[in-house]
Amino acid sequence: MTKPMVPSDAELLRSMLAGDERAFTSLYGRYKGLVYRFALLMSGQGSIAEEVTQEVFLALLRNGRRYDPGRASLKAYLCGAARNQVLLLMKKERPYVQLVEESDEGREAPVAQLISGDDPLGDCARNEANRLVRQAVLALPARYREVIVLCDFQELSYAEAALALDCPVGTVNSRLHRGHALLSKKLRAAGLDSAPDAQVMRCFA
Amino acid sequence: MNCHDFEKLALALARNSLLDATERDQGLIHTEVCNRCAARLAQERALLARLRAVAVEMAGEEPPARVDALLLAAFRAQTAATASSVVITAQGRAGRWSSWKFAAVAAGILILISAIAIIWKSTGSRMPQREERAVAPTPVNTPGPQAEPPVGRDQVVDERQKNLPKRILRHASVKSQDEAEVVTQFFPLREGEDLTTLDSLQVVRVELPGSALGEVGLPFDPETAPESVKADVVLGQDGLARAIRFVR
Repeated sequence: MTKPMVPSDAELLRSMLAGDERAFTSLYGRYKGLVYRFALLMSGQGSIAEEVTQEVFLALLRNGRRYDPGRASLKAYLCGAARNQVLLLMKKERPYVQLVEESDEGREAPVAQLISGDDPLGDCARNEANRLVRQAVLALPARYREVIVLCDFQELSYAEAALALDCPVGTVNSRLHRGHALLSKKLRAAGLDSAPDAQVMRCFA
Repeated sequence: MNCHDFEKLALALARNSLLDATERDQGLIHTEVCNRCAARLAQERALLARLRAVAVEMAGEEPPARVDALLLAAFRAQTAATASSVVITAQGRAGRWSSWKFAAVAAGILILISAIAIIWKSTGSRMPQREERAVAPTPVNTPGPQAEPPVGRDQVVDERQKNLPKRILRHASVKSQDEAEVVTQFFPLREGEDLTTLDSLQVVRVELPGSALGEVGLPFDPETAPESVKADVVLGQDGLARAIRFVR
């Protein structure tokens, strides 16, 4: 039995630009989560993530013909567009940033989060740990945060991340190193990381 | 491999994304002899595990349905707008063509009316001369004893013809050669106006009553006056007639 052919991003985009609604919904369904989560991890605000998702796909509708499949994957292209939108919106919203860290209590929890497994205490601890990780990521400077979100959360390759961020691969690598070091420090400060501090150990190799 | 080299590979090792098997093996061997680098690798792996746990938790987070609906509506609107713009473009071409033809016809009618009005307007002041010329018609460029005004007018006409832009004269002569037409000189319709000072002029072929010949001092047969004659009217940029010549 042969698998049904999955259309490539480029094919879907072509069809979408030609007015094929099914192609649009397929392409949107494929990448809406990626764009939304990227914006959410970058901004920590659902409203910004919504707006970014909206703007990124509206831009794709308007300027999709500018996308060159030979230059970057659509994933990287959309992440690049989302990054620009996030930075733009966060710059606008800067005067209104909350002094108190945003709580998740006011947000509607996804159904998956409401269903507890066999270990409610463990689930609670994991959720708390994840919340602290997200906060620590949000506290990073944007240039480190964006490479961590792209490479570690969205699992883009260094080359794809470099295209999305419009910088050399070496820069991605060095920012990722630096970002991880900063993040580890923050997590240790939050009492989360139990890994031994590499700085205090001596290496004789 | 030393610790410095290992540090360059630490992230890739933790992510299992190191493509070079030799480098990977050397790095892992180094961690067996170096506690610091082993701890470093463990730390990276722990960090990645935490980040991936968050990524897994967030996997279900997607934009709310209102964003989906809004984008779908935007897509449909854009598709509809593109389709209608194509239709409008196609219709627009046809529309432009028909409106162009309409404008041309309308312009022709306006010019005809304008020329007739100008000629009729000057009829009152020149009526006696016309009567004289009608009694004793004088051929063009052949002034007779009673034809002083026509002589003077011819002189004016000659001067004006010199002043006419070359474009008009060339156009007229080419046309007359091509179609073997007999044309008169251009007669100015507005006294004291230098045609060379005008930016652009147009020559338009019209049909006028035969009596129009008399308005510029040319002989005409009163019996055949109702019959139309062909004429080239020079129009200024403002659409007003500036000069006229007759064509046979």
